[in-house]
Amino acid sequence: MHVLIVEDEKSLQQEIRQFLLHSQYLVDSAFTFAEASEKLFVNSYDFVLLDLGLPDGDGLNLLRESHQNDRQEASFIILTARGDLHDRIKGLDLGADDYLPKPFSLLELQSRMQAITRRKFGLKRQEISFGSGFQMDVTSRVLRHGEQEVPLTKKEFDLLHYLVLHKNRVLTRLQLGEHLWGNILEDDSDSNYIDVHIKNIRKKLTLFAPADFLETVRGIGYRVTE
Amino acid sequence: MRLETKLALFNALSKLLLVLLGVVVIPPVVSRIAVDHTDQRLHEKKQQVLDLIARDGLAAFIRQEQNQAYADYNILRQEFITLTPDPGPPRVLPRETLFNEPRQLEQATEDFRILSYHFQAQQRPYHLEIGSSLATVELLEATLRRLALWVLVVGALLTILTDAAFARFLLRPLGELITRKLRNVRHPSAFPFAPIPTSTTDFRRLDDSLNEMMHQMQSAFEKEREFMSNVSHELLTPVSILQSRFENLLQDPDLSHAHSLQIVESQKTLYRLRNTVRTLLLIANIENEQFLREETVSLLAVLAEVLNELDDRLAQRELHLRMQLAPDYLVTRANHSLLFTLLLNLLSNAIKYNRPGGDIVVSGQPLPGGGYRLRVADTGPGIAPEHLPHLFDRFRRFHAGGAAAPEGYGLGLPIARTIAAFHEATLTATSEIGKGSCFVLEFGPARSTPADA
Repeated sequence: MHVLIVEDEKSLQQEIRQFLLHSQYLVDSAFTFAEASEKLFVNSYDFVLLDLGLPDGDGLNLLRESHQNDRQEASFIILTARGDLHDRIKGLDLGADDYLPKPFSLLELQSRMQAITRRKFGLKRQEISFGSGFQMDVTSRVLRHGEQEVPLTKKEFDLLHYLVLHKNRVLTRLQLGEHLWGNILEDDSDSNYIDVHIKNIRKKLTLFAPADFLETVRGIGYRVTE
Repeated sequence: MRLETKLALFNALSKLLLVLLGVVVIPPVVSRIAVDHTDQRLHEKKQQVLDLIARDGLAAFIRQEQNQAYADYNILRQEFITLTPDPGPPRVLPRETLFNEPRQLEQATEDFRILSYHFQAQQRPYHLEIGSSLATVELLEATLRRLALWVLVVGALLTILTDAAFARFLLRPLGELITRKLRNVRHPSAFPFAPIPTSTTDFRRLDDSLNEMMHQMQSAFEKEREFMSNVSHELLTPVSILQSRFENLLQDPDLSHAHSLQIVESQKTLYRLRNTVRTLLLIANIENEQFLREETVSLLAVLAEVLNELDDRLAQRELHLRMQLAPDYLVTRANHSLLFTLLLNLLSNAIKYNRPGGDIVVSGQPLPGGGYRLRVADTGPGIAPEHLPHLFDRFRRFHAGGAAAPEGYGLGLPIARTIAAFHEATLTATSEIGKGSCFVLEFGPARSTPADA
């Protein structure tokens, strides 16, 4: 997977880059509109992470430009701090695949990228296996063990899916909470709910097989290991 | 009261006064006129008699056998005329007087207006009296009075109508100004700048000043919007960098557990900063009308979405929720996602500040005068009366139920109130310590859309 990060903020560019490299992506960087425009013309990418507020131009024009270029088949994810309602609408109108307002979680970015990939290649059934014989059907949102269905609530499924998606990473309660409740503005960091969910998930999984792959990392969060 | 109504009222009142004045003034004037008129006629008659005497001599009037007196009256006793030799003492002649006096003609006594004239003819003094019945005078007077009053009333009515119509015509530009430029404008961005057609300088000036003021407001709003956009960019970009860095740091296999814990703590602080910035931006954006308000939203549907989001929390705290919306309410000119945030904040508070196993009652009913009231009541520890007035202030925090109570950053309720105001609704709270709190959201009578105003 070849990703172009168009972001004028060097530190942020650096962090996204590090994260994606760690997740086995091939990463290219552009810091200005001109640079991005040229790279988009020459290379072909799978993903373009596009900051709208570039010093020498509007990121939306890059989107427009590359949509006129038939060879460019990249999926665009808009990353912006401008928080302007109209930008979002305009961006999606111009054919952006997703929109993440800054600040965003890198984990969220990665799961959006995976969702887009799934959509793009028309993967009808995507199954993830983990633990001892658990099968997660992401499209129909069902967790199975063998032939049996593990009854999970919507939130429990989302939580487990996110953990499985980021296998071997420790996810903090905040990251999990943000995934579950998205952009809902919570004015507290009361993440006890996550603990209760994990407890319930463990209880349900244990009925079928040991759930020790779902680890608690003391004081930090949770992790699904292989 | 509208200017047009005031003018019309004033107009009608002044005309009424005029009519009243007429009622008071006309009778004496008319009676004066009638008397003058009668006197005039009596004079003419006298002149005719004198002319006749001059032409024919006294013989036609005075007959010896009738005591040298002449009297004539018409059959209805409206007028009489007498000519008698004047036996009285000699006086300066001719002498004329006019007076009212009752006279007996045949058997009836009547009041007469009498012209009495002493004159000399053929070296003898004569006394001529010509009388006109006062009943006739009064009849004339009454006719005149009635006519005058009718003219007055009809004139007054006619002028009231024409004045009102003219005032209406004159004030039409003002009315248009008020409907088009003031009443229908809910936000400066929706202000119509097209000038109101009028030839009245005052209105022209008013319209121009309004346009000018609105231009200034629009540019102020535009500047504020730009400012918010810049601020959000400048604040959220560094937060974004830090957030990504913490996430990357946590994945570092060489990181010690102690350091990991510190990063998690830093992450919490950063989330708090982020949420504060986002909340302030949200409030600013709502107040700056950056949200569309074009949907018609069912409260029941939004509540269902909110509960879908919160049902796990309800279950975890073993709270019982009762929802009694009778009937559902459709909020017009609404923003769905903002209403969602508003109700989510109210319900999430009701969950957070509740005792385990407690109740939440969401009830809604239409208000008698139109509009709707939605109540969200919990069975939490309640809010102290001295805190209630400040509940919706930004950045104020209360430790509602001692140390165990969850702590917010004090922005959930200000957001809720801002969103309520955005929908022209009011949000208030009542509470009783130890029993619970109740948040009341009141929508006004169905709000009109610009199209039908």
